[in-house]
Amino acid sequence: MDDILRRNNVKVSGHGSETMLFAHGFGCDQNMWRLVTPAFEADYRVVVFDYVGSGGSHIPSYDAERYATLDGYAQDILDVCHALELRDVVLVGHSVSSMVAVLASNREPELFSRLIMIGPSPRYVNDEGYIGGFERSDISGLLDMMDTNYVGWANFLGPAIMKNADRPELGEELTGSFCSTDPKLARRFAEATFYADNRNDLRHVRVPSLIMQCADDMIAPDHIGDYVHDAMPLSTLRRMEATGHCPHMSHPEETIRIMREYLDAPVSTESASVSP
Amino acid sequence: MDELLDFAPVGFLSFDDGGTITAANQTLVDLLGYARDELVGASFERILNVGGRIFYHTHFFPLVRLHGRADEIFLILRMSNGEDIGVLVNAVRRTRAGAVATDCAIMHVRERQKFEGELLQARRLAEAAQAEAQEGQRRLEEANSRLEHQAIEMEQQAVELEVTTEELQLSNDALQTRASDLERMRAEADEANLAKSNFLAMMSHELRTPLNAISGYAQLMEMGLQGPVSDAQREALDRIQQSQRHLLRLVNEVLNLARIEAGHVDYDVAVVPVRDLVAAILPLVEPQMIQNLITLDTADTADLAVACDVDKTQQILLNLLSNAIKFTPAGGTITIRAQAEEDGEDAGKVALLVQDTGIGIPEAMLGLIFDPFVQVETSLSRRGEGTGLGLAISRDLARGMGGDLKAGSEPGAGSLFTLTLPAARLHPDDLP
Repeated sequence: MDDILRRNNVKVSGHGSETMLFAHGFGCDQNMWRLVTPAFEADYRVVVFDYVGSGGSHIPSYDAERYATLDGYAQDILDVCHALELRDVVLVGHSVSSMVAVLASNREPELFSRLIMIGPSPRYVNDEGYIGGFERSDISGLLDMMDTNYVGWANFLGPAIMKNADRPELGEELTGSFCSTDPKLARRFAEATFYADNRNDLRHVRVPSLIMQCADDMIAPDHIGDYVHDAMPLSTLRRMEATGHCPHMSHPEETIRIMREYLDAPVSTESASVSP
Repeated sequence: MDELLDFAPVGFLSFDDGGTITAANQTLVDLLGYARDELVGASFERILNVGGRIFYHTHFFPLVRLHGRADEIFLILRMSNGEDIGVLVNAVRRTRAGAVATDCAIMHVRERQKFEGELLQARRLAEAAQAEAQEGQRRLEEANSRLEHQAIEMEQQAVELEVTTEELQLSNDALQTRASDLERMRAEADEANLAKSNFLAMMSHELRTPLNAISGYAQLMEMGLQGPVSDAQREALDRIQQSQRHLLRLVNEVLNLARIEAGHVDYDVAVVPVRDLVAAILPLVEPQMIQNLITLDTADTADLAVACDVDKTQQILLNLLSNAIKFTPAGGTITIRAQAEEDGEDAGKVALLVQDTGIGIPEAMLGLIFDPFVQVETSLSRRGEGTGLGLAISRDLARGMGGDLKAGSEPGAGSLFTLTLPAARLHPDDLP
C-alpha cells in the first residue's frame, strides 16, 4: 500500500464519508486541481495523485510497456483505489483522464459511484466518418514542440537553475512546471493520449457520469461532447460558459458549481443534457 | 499603448484567462502581419499552429495559471500568410486594473531555433544510434547464445551418431554372421536332400532286383516246372505274386519321386490332341468303372492340343482317374473336360478337368494332398493301399512340363482336379 502511495505521489485531504479522486490530464500533474479541490474538502475526502512518469511520481517505477496505452494509466487509478481501500468513489478526470476513468470503471465498476469528465474526447485523430479535430501530422507538430521545450529548456536550463543555492524556490518552480522533466516519458504519454481510440469503450460504462463541455474547446470540440453523451449510458451533458480546455484552471468557480449541482442531485437513472 | 511599448524590440501581447487577446503592440502586429484589430479580441489559439494549440492548453496555460509565470517557452506562431515562425515567450500573470491578465514578451528566434533544431536532431540521431547499437548488441548476444546452443546440440548429435554407428556396425556384423550361417545351412540342406534322393534311387534299384527274382521264381513254380503244384500251393503262390506286385509298385513310385526330386527326369515333349491322350487311357480304367457301376463322360474334350510328354501325362491322368474311381460310390459319374484358359495366371494353357461325384476331400486336407506320403483316409479308401506318392509325383511331373495340378472339392459333392498344360497348335494335317 505504502509503495503505491509513494509511487503515485498520493495526497489525501478533506473530510467526508464519500471520496473524490481527481485524475490530472496530459501535460500537468495533481497541481492542476488546486483551484477546485479546496471547495470539496468540507464534504468529501479528497484524493489527488500523479500518474507514474508525471509530477512527483516515482520515476524508476515507470514501465514503458505498461504505459504505452491508456490501460496502464487506468491501472494506476485502480491501484490507488485498492491501496486506500476506496469504494463508491466520485472519479474526476480531466481531458485524457476522462477516458482513463472510462477504462478503469469498465474494469472495476463496483469501485465507482459517479464519473465526472472535463473535456472528454474518445479519439483525437480524425477517422472515416468521425472528426476528432486533428490529423496525425498535427500530433507530430506537438511532439516536436515538446521536444524543443523539454530538451532545450527543462533539461539544460532547469537543472542549472536548480543548483542555484541562493534561489532554490526558482528551480523548484521551473522544474515543477511541466508534467515530467523526462522528455521520453512525456512523449510516450502524448502518444498514448493522442493516438488512442476509446470510442468502443463508451457504451460499456455502467457508472452514471457527468460530461463537462467547454465553449470553444479546440481539443475537445462541442460535437465531441454530444458524441460522448450519446454513446455513454446514464450520462449527463453540461455545456459550460467557460472557454478553452482547462475550465478547472481558467473558470474554477463555474467548474465547482456545476460539479456540486451534479453531486447534490439524485443519481441519474437516465441520460440528460443541460445547457447554460 | 504608449509609443515606447509599441516599438520595443520585442513583441507584446496580453490575454485573459479565457485565452482572449486584450492587447498587442505594433512590433507583434508587424511580425505576424495581422491588423491590430484582427488580433485584439481574437483567441490566443488563433495565432498558434495546431500542435502549438495543444501545447498551449496542456503546458503553457497550466504553467502560467498555476505558477504565475513562464520563462523561455518555445512556441510556433502562425502568421497571417499561413507561414509558421518560432518564438520564445516570457509570460507573467497578474492583476491589472481589477482584471487578471497574462502579459507576454515574444521574441522571434531564427538562428537560435536553427541551432536548437540541429541540437535536437543531433540528439535524436545519437539516441537512435545508441538504441541501434543496443539492439545490435542484443541481437549479437542472441545470435551468440543461439550459436552456443546449436554447438551444444551438434556435439550431442555427434555423440549420438557415434553411438548409432557403433550399434549399426554390431548389427551388421551379426547380420553377416547370420547370413553366412544361413548360406552354410542351405548348402548343407541341399547336400542332404541330394544325398537322400541318390540314396533312394540307389536303394530302389537294389530293392527291385530281388523283387523281380521273387516274381520269376514264383512263376516258375506255378508253371509246375519244379514238380506238381497243389491247389493250396497255387493259392499261396498267387498271394506271393500279388504281394510282389504291390511291393514293386511301391518301390517304383518311390524311385520316380526320388528321380524327379534329384532332377533326373527327362521330358519328351510333343504336340498331342487332348482327345488322343484321353482315348489312350480309357481302356485301362473302363473295366474298373464297369465293375463299380460308374459312368464316364468324355464328351467335352474339345479340339484342343497340348505340348507335353505323352507317357507322363497319361500317367497323371491315370492316377487322377484311379483316385476318382476309388472315391466314387456305385452309380456316380466321372467327367473329363478340356478348356482353353484365356485369362489370369493360366492364360495360354489348356486345362484338363477330372471331376467326380464322390465323397470329396475335407477342406483341412486340401492343402496337404500333394505332399509326399499323404493319404486321405476314408471308408472307401482301403488302408495301406498305395504309397501316398501318386499326387505328389503327378504334380511334380505337371510342373516339370510347364503346367500344374490343382485340387478343389466340396465334401459330399465330389472333387475336381485341374491339370494345366501348355497349349499348342496342331499341324493342319493332324486336324480331323
